[in-house]
Amino acid sequence: MVQNKRRNFLIAGFVTSVVVVMNSGRIFSQVTPDTTLSILQYDLFPQAKEMDVNLAAYFTLIQRHSRIDEDEKKYLKNGIKWINEEAVEVHEALYHELPESKRQELLQSISQKEWGESYLYTLLTYIMEATFSDPIYGVNPKRSGQQWLAFENGLPYPKEAYL
Amino acid sequence: MIYDVCIIGSGAGGSPIAYELSNAGFNVVVLEKGKYYKEEDFSKDELAVSRRDMFTPNLQDEFHIINEYKPSGNFTRYSGKESGWNFWNSSMVGGSSNLMSGYFHRMKPNDFQLRSSYGEIQGANVVDWPISYEDLEPYYDKVERVVGVSGRVVEHKYQEPRSSKEFPYKMLEVNGVTEWFDKACEEMDYVSIPTPRAVLSEDALGRKGCYYSNFCGSYGCSSGAKGGARAALLQRCKAEVISEAFVYRLESDATKVTKAYYYDKAKKSHTIEAKIFVLSAQAIESVRLLFNSKNTHFPNGLANSSGELGNNLIFSAGGSGSGRFVFEKLTQKQQKELMQVGLFFNRSLQEWYDYDDGCRNYKGGTIDFLFEHQNIISRVNRELYDEEGNLLWGQALAERLHKRLTTSRVLTFEVFNDWLPTDNCNVRVDEKTKDKWGVPVGMINLNSHPHDLEVGKHLAIKAAELLKKMGAIKVEYSISSAPPPNLVAGGCRFGEDATKSVLDKNCKAHDLKNLYVSDASFMPTGGSVPYTWTIYANSFRIAQKILATLKT
Repeated sequence: MVQNKRRNFLIAGFVTSVVVVMNSGRIFSQVTPDTTLSILQYDLFPQAKEMDVNLAAYFTLIQRHSRIDEDEKKYLKNGIKWINEEAVEVHEALYHELPESKRQELLQSISQKEWGESYLYTLLTYIMEATFSDPIYGVNPKRSGQQWLAFENGLPYPKEAYL
Repeated sequence: MIYDVCIIGSGAGGSPIAYELSNAGFNVVVLEKGKYYKEEDFSKDELAVSRRDMFTPNLQDEFHIINEYKPSGNFTRYSGKESGWNFWNSSMVGGSSNLMSGYFHRMKPNDFQLRSSYGEIQGANVVDWPISYEDLEPYYDKVERVVGVSGRVVEHKYQEPRSSKEFPYKMLEVNGVTEWFDKACEEMDYVSIPTPRAVLSEDALGRKGCYYSNFCGSYGCSSGAKGGARAALLQRCKAEVISEAFVYRLESDATKVTKAYYYDKAKKSHTIEAKIFVLSAQAIESVRLLFNSKNTHFPNGLANSSGELGNNLIFSAGGSGSGRFVFEKLTQKQQKELMQVGLFFNRSLQEWYDYDDGCRNYKGGTIDFLFEHQNIISRVNRELYDEEGNLLWGQALAERLHKRLTTSRVLTFEVFNDWLPTDNCNVRVDEKTKDKWGVPVGMINLNSHPHDLEVGKHLAIKAAELLKKMGAIKVEYSISSAPPPNLVAGGCRFGEDATKSVLDKNCKAHDLKNLYVSDASFMPTGGSVPYTWTIYANSFRIAQKILATLKT
């Protein structure tokens, strides 16, 4: 039980841990990945919110997945830092502090950069995974993504999540 | 306890032998590295099966070293642990046959005599097989009946001789778009071949018929209709199966293998003694085990007095292509046919199994046609960019996804042609790099012959023309020298000459009295078809040879 608590703390650590945002070699601010992701994920795919797909829960799940290596998990976290640093450099504000129009402008600008395109693509692939996941994973309880595309899942459905 | 036969690996190469010998009353044990999954354990969970590779080893634990050769002779080294490049197919009882699509084509008579039929090709180590199509035909036939193959025989210029007039099981049901395909073939004077499948179309052999789940290839079968080695053979015989048993060494004296050593999942070592050992861990891992079993009698690797162990690794050459059918160009009836899910496409062409370009006769190959895999996450991920190559998100992405996936569908094709064996395509072990068991990992040297690309392109162009004739748009193809990990063979060539081959014509090691290798590693050339049917057939053939030995 103690170990489980410790494990849960570490898992939760991804979304609640602090990312240090630098600007011109100085610490500008600190932000938790959760603060950025909670807005960024729906900026990238607002339909997930309408479909009641819990993207935040999926990103937490990814952080504890046995088949996603540590480098990938670090990359997800580092990307949050880079996006915020870009926001600070252009607008002198953190990503979540920007109005929607400015956030979209920033995403457009970031997507033209090699690191930005790669990172946004990665986020989108995880968003798609969440949107079309089986309800057993707990993030897409109504198969909303599948219904949206009139997609018929194969049977049988999984009896347990593979983590 | 001394078993009559110990089989290492439980896939298509090992299971026919387990089935035949245990049913003949012999004491057979099968050692399998993976878990024992059964029908009730399988689901169509794309995240688990296709995105997180639940049936293959974690690459942080088990991986390969891959050296990719360039035409200059230089190579780039990749560690599978870091690059993610791997050659695992499926680690479970029944092996990768659990996850196959089961497109079953026999090799043709000329495939057994590639060198005699088509001549020498510079830079390629092409040889004839020591057996003929006639030697293997009774076993192809046996596979149809015992494993279960469904289809319909149609006459065409490369139809191989058959001892049975028809397949024992009727064709699986097909999607209405196959009629468009058949019509286009007729207009182009091609013979449309209903692709034979190792999938039961009805309840038979103690198994359920196909329930058209829409998710066949890459997934385990929940009805047992798919003729995987576990469902069709291991569950129908009395062979003892020990799962989660990783064989890391074979012990031998100068003439015989005496013991197999394996680790269980807790890394506790065990030994098995048997009169006869059969190795069938797939080409790369079988070769790896023989190298890792070197001893004072065989200092260069077990059964390697010829120095040929690991040489002439081959794959299926070719590639794939696709075309998209869009609602705007279809009638309402056609739209409905296009979006009909669950049913198979199951069409092939072998019009160019060999062909003449005016200068010389070429060995060609097979083209299988099938709908784009239904994996929804993979399909939406392919739509993340627009036609100009810009990443999409937000409303623009949503609109694209909805239109593409609800008003169009992609028909794909796969080209299978010979991967010519060459000096720089082989398997070794990297003594300095070890897996989680502390065992040196397999090192795969990759090289392809330019001839493979030339033939593959010829076939792909023909397939693309057919898709256009059917009315597809955005027709494209990709023929490359990238090796498909699920279509691997060679490394333990069989042959008459013990100085130039590892195995004799019965797939027994030249060097040892009681070691057989029964996966695809025996193959000197691979034919221009997927390998599984040939692996099954050859394993049934070897079973008869071993049976004769055990009875004497």
